[in-house]
Amino acid sequence: MIELKNTTKYFRIGFFGIKKNAVENLSLTVEAGKVTGFFGPNGAGKSTTIKMIVGLVHPSNGIIKINGYDSMDYKARLNLGYLPENPSFPRGLKGIEIISYYSKLLNKKIDKNEIYDALKLAGIFYAKDIHAHKYSKGMTQRLALAISILGDPEILIFDEPLSGLDPIGRKEFKDIIFKLKERRKTIFFSSHVLADSKELCDKIAVLVNGRLIKNEGITAIEKEAEGYTEAKLNSSKNHERTPDTTKPEQDKDYRLIAEYNTPLEVYLYDLMRKNKKN
Amino acid sequence: MKKILYSTMYSFKEIKNSKIFYSFLIFALILISGSYFVSQTSFISQGRIMVDFSIFAITIFNIFIGIFIGSSIVYDDIEKKSIFLSITRPVKRTEYLIGRFLGLTAAIIFSTVIMMLIFYFVLLIMHKYVIPLKPFAGQPTIYSLPQPLIIQALFIIIESVFIAAVALLFSLITSKALASIFTILVFFIGNVSSKMNDLVRPVKKIIGGKIVIVHQANHALTNIVHIIYAILPNFSIFNISSEAAYKIFISAGTVFYRIVYGLSYMVLLFIISSLIFTRKDIS
Ligand SMILES: Nc1ncnc2c1ncn2[C@@H]1O[C@H](COP(=O)(O)OP(=O)(O)OP(=O)(O)O)[C@@H](O)[C@H]1O
Ligand SMILES: [Mg+2]
Repeated sequence: MIELKNTTKYFRIGFFGIKKNAVENLSLTVEAGKVTGFFGPNGAGKSTTIKMIVGLVHPSNGIIKINGYDSMDYKARLNLGYLPENPSFPRGLKGIEIISYYSKLLNKKIDKNEIYDALKLAGIFYAKDIHAHKYSKGMTQRLALAISILGDPEILIFDEPLSGLDPIGRKEFKDIIFKLKERRKTIFFSSHVLADSKELCDKIAVLVNGRLIKNEGITAIEKEAEGYTEAKLNSSKNHERTPDTTKPEQDKDYRLIAEYNTPLEVYLYDLMRKNKKN
Repeated sequence: MKKILYSTMYSFKEIKNSKIFYSFLIFALILISGSYFVSQTSFISQGRIMVDFSIFAITIFNIFIGIFIGSSIVYDDIEKKSIFLSITRPVKRTEYLIGRFLGLTAAIIFSTVIMMLIFYFVLLIMHKYVIPLKPFAGQPTIYSLPQPLIIQALFIIIESVFIAAVALLFSLITSKALASIFTILVFFIGNVSSKMNDLVRPVKKIIGGKIVIVHQANHALTNIVHIIYAILPNFSIFNISSEAAYKIFISAGTVFYRIVYGLSYMVLLFIISSLIFTRKDIS
């Protein structure tokens, strides 16, 4: 279980070190054994939050606990796998050398077969003897995924796992998440692609401008979304009947609904846009 | 402990496969072999020219490795984000840092040993400076390098690792380029500071049974030089190439004192680096 309590992170930017909040007073509990989707537009603070959870970035304020350990304590990461956004590896080393090294950093003994299994699951086994700097983006992503699931950790944190993957890769990755979900892993993944949300998540958290604006179970949020979309469709239909009041703004909304095919996507999109303006 | 060892091995492998390390190593080997031709330009003391030239090449290239790889070994790992996967494993940041640093140390030892070996073979071929040892009667003779040359190799390792510790510390607080420049500056000052310190000392003479100061540099300048001398590392003590060239025996006490000086300064620098690194946001 991951608990964030009133977590704030500011970065000092520029010559004078002016504070700029990346995450603001975030309180969030990622429940054990569930898949939580973490959504938000670019620059919302998703990666910053994730980096605080995995101990890369120190929170400026507040507490983060993983299984009871403080996030900066290495013990918090005893049972945690992390897939960074845009992972990369040093030059001149083969995929298999890299993953063997990371397997040695775990507190468990990992044998060769386990490494091979992880590589196979991530679909990169065939390229294990190639130098990692010659990998394509998707291959690098897969190697990082294999590393993050090594040792079968209870908690898995994926930062934009689907970015950089082709449609087949995305499908495969989602299947992997489904498999992990069946095995009751705690999964926390970030994305800005709303279409990924529904099938995978038990819970959805939405972050905009560093603030958490939604954190609910999938059924509750779907119900809300349906009500919202219905109301929206009705109102735009009403507008259509009276052509003189049609504004270009509403026209755009109408097209959007056609573009996103589920009420949930429309709802989340509108939610993000509304909050982004503030 | 095991994790540090694996980290060290991995970092060493990474450095060994890096282009910069290769090119320095190959360059040095070319220079060392070339020292033979340089020495041929002289009729006298060819051996001494070779020793001077080769020791200079070995020193400077290991210092380069210390400066350039020292300032990039952690910096690049952060910049390229490859560090993300290693320090989010159940390892302490200090363990990671020790692993990186020891990996670089191993690389410096490796390169010094290889360079010394090539140097040894060149000397062996020329039959200069090598000392025949007859372990047992009837056995083939083994040739050894003179003691000051072996000590010099050890000092080159200590000095380069020391420089790497300076570069690592700088790279954690500034950019890689600035860290290299600052390290070069520290190295330069550290090499001349003891001479400077001697220069600004008051010149005293005994005139008519009294000690009289005949010359005294500006007081402010003297103090600045003394402070620099006291604070910044003194690298000149690791340069014993003239002793090596004249085969002067280096006493065990001197060796011990200089190694302890180098190691304790290095440990201090490393502790500061580690404190900075554990507090650093890596993003
Ligand atoms: N090291 C840093 N120094 C200064 N500002 C930073 C730093 N890291 C992140 N930020 C700022 O924090 C904010 C949040 O960034 P973050 O990377 O967390 O966004 P994100 O939600 O992951 O976006 P994306 O979807 O594009 O990945 C941004 O405004 C960014 O400029
Ligand atoms: Mg991000």
